[in-house]
Amino acid sequence: MLRVLKSSVSVILLTGFMLSGAIAADVKSIAILTPEEGTDYGWNQQGVDAAKAAAAATGVEVVVAQGLGYGDVRPTLRELAEEGASLLIAHASGYNTSAPEIANELKVPVAIVDTPSALKKGLVADYTLSGHEGAYLAGRLAAKMTRSKAVGIVVSGEPPSWNSQSAGFAQGVKAENPDVKVTYAVIGPAAYSDAAGGKRVTESVIASGADIIFGQGNGSSFGMLQAVETTKAADGGKVYFIDVIGDKTPIDKGFLLSSVVWNITPVYTAMINDLKADTFGTKSYSIGLKDDSVKLLKTAAIPDNVWTEVQALREDVISGKIKVEPVFEATAVRALMTNVSE
Amino acid sequence: MTGLFSEVFLGALLFGAVTAAIPLLLAGLGEQMSEKAGVLNIGIEGMMIFGAYLGFVGAFYSGSLWLGFLTGALGGMVVALLMALLCVRLGLNQIVIGIGLTLGLEGLTALLHHFQFSRSYPRLPAADRTVIPFLADIPILGPALFRQHLIVYMAIALVFVMGYIYRRTQLGLNLQAAGDKPAALDVAGIDVVRTRTIAVLTTGALAGLGGAYLANVGAGIFIPFITNGAGFLGIVLAMLARGRPVWVLFGALLFGVCLSLTTAMQVAGINIPTDVIQMLPFLAVMIMLVLFGRRASLPAALGIPYERGAR
Repeated sequence: MLRVLKSSVSVILLTGFMLSGAIAADVKSIAILTPEEGTDYGWNQQGVDAAKAAAAATGVEVVVAQGLGYGDVRPTLRELAEEGASLLIAHASGYNTSAPEIANELKVPVAIVDTPSALKKGLVADYTLSGHEGAYLAGRLAAKMTRSKAVGIVVSGEPPSWNSQSAGFAQGVKAENPDVKVTYAVIGPAAYSDAAGGKRVTESVIASGADIIFGQGNGSSFGMLQAVETTKAADGGKVYFIDVIGDKTPIDKGFLLSSVVWNITPVYTAMINDLKADTFGTKSYSIGLKDDSVKLLKTAAIPDNVWTEVQALREDVISGKIKVEPVFEATAVRALMTNVSE
Repeated sequence: MTGLFSEVFLGALLFGAVTAAIPLLLAGLGEQMSEKAGVLNIGIEGMMIFGAYLGFVGAFYSGSLWLGFLTGALGGMVVALLMALLCVRLGLNQIVIGIGLTLGLEGLTALLHHFQFSRSYPRLPAADRTVIPFLADIPILGPALFRQHLIVYMAIALVFVMGYIYRRTQLGLNLQAAGDKPAALDVAGIDVVRTRTIAVLTTGALAGLGGAYLANVGAGIFIPFITNGAGFLGIVLAMLARGRPVWVLFGALLFGVCLSLTTAMQVAGINIPTDVIQMLPFLAVMIMLVLFGRRASLPAALGIPYERGAR
């Protein structure tokens, strides 16, 4: 009887071990859901490109569901889960309520953004990324190049990862030249696709004196770009635009000064590996200057001597000589800005 | 001179307010006509986004903003034709069809944009402005109000044309009756379905024009979901204005001014939560229109399909 009991327990343990191993290693495909098309030279494109690159690097298939908008994506999440995706990457802060719900309902791992507190082992991972180090360099660059001694930040929302970049930019400007004014304007609540709002607000910020705009907007950033292309600075000269996350060089008309470019591939690759190792949902992910997952874009508008100085600052950030702490709270971000009426 | 109280900054804010108000005005006037005739046109967001897309396509390929406005208005009318067919002719649920059209057209225009523009993101040059002599020289107000594109003046003039139509013409009376007592209109020998169809098609044209203005002048580019709920705001304005075109104008301008105020407060560095600041336009419009527009009422047969002989 004892032998039978021991054998049964052994069989159960062995089966459990084999099953858990099989589940942990069984990552055949991933899916990424984006609110806008993965061709926006920004957040959506970097996400889609990174998912494809990570899938290729880890030998899994990738399904791309793009242009889903900012509404309810539960049906798409369910469909992708039922099609067998081993990981659903919900690439929009607007999806961070629905995706964990689907994860719990269908027991499919999901990755969300802007909700670090939602981690759940095996089911929910968060990848709230911060390009604050790159944004800091962008701020130093802007302060070196502004003619009016006034720069502006225009954003279409205040998710944590954008807040940290707005703060990083403002800190960089102040570190380079405390006399440069930094103004800040949010287009509207979740105005990610409000290109007209992006143009309108950017024109107002330019009218307040800014000749360099640091813009974070998804689709609305095209409105910001349009504003800098069609509005002159107070001195009659060009207004320059500093973009984030993607590289808009292919559609630039000579107004793009730089961009804080993200490479999300290492993050997604780590997620897939965590899924295989059964450690998914237990840690946070980051990007930074050190491994070039965050880098400042060099354009023809940046003089070589200025670029050299910025690269030296980059080394200082990497070495720790300059410390740039991320600021995720919107209230703290606003406190860093200049009061224009001063 | 630059800064918060400079003429340039204040002028830019006012100019932005008008630019933001015009699409809402056109959508609101269109919705108002549908509602007068008894059709609750929830699909106006879809008409706007299709108008924005076709308006941009027209302007981009022809190089003419006016052709863009024309194609935008036609685009809105095409969607309105579907709405009229399904809701006015076949009597299907206006809310369901309206939502369906909006969702479908958001998807369709995103798809079309993907194939056409998603690698090049073409932008239009800045729109030409029509300068009104003397008035354009008034400090701050002049550049903001009297150096606008001609379509802006036409949109504002339309408010008074609409008011005239509603108060002084047979068409206005027919529209009113189609919304209040469609059976009485039918008894008088006027085709209710035809009257409502005309209203819905006009709504489509105005919403499409509003979308085209938004894309071509407001943004200078078309991107998916660009209307960002402007059509729904138009519905709110029309509902609150309760049949009075001038109140739609007032509501749209108030909304635009409040939007600009939110920008001014942020640029000024006033450290209160952005969410609170950005509630202002919505709150202001609702408070003002509820206070001053409350005596008017919505049509009795609003949202109810007309069927001859039905009780």
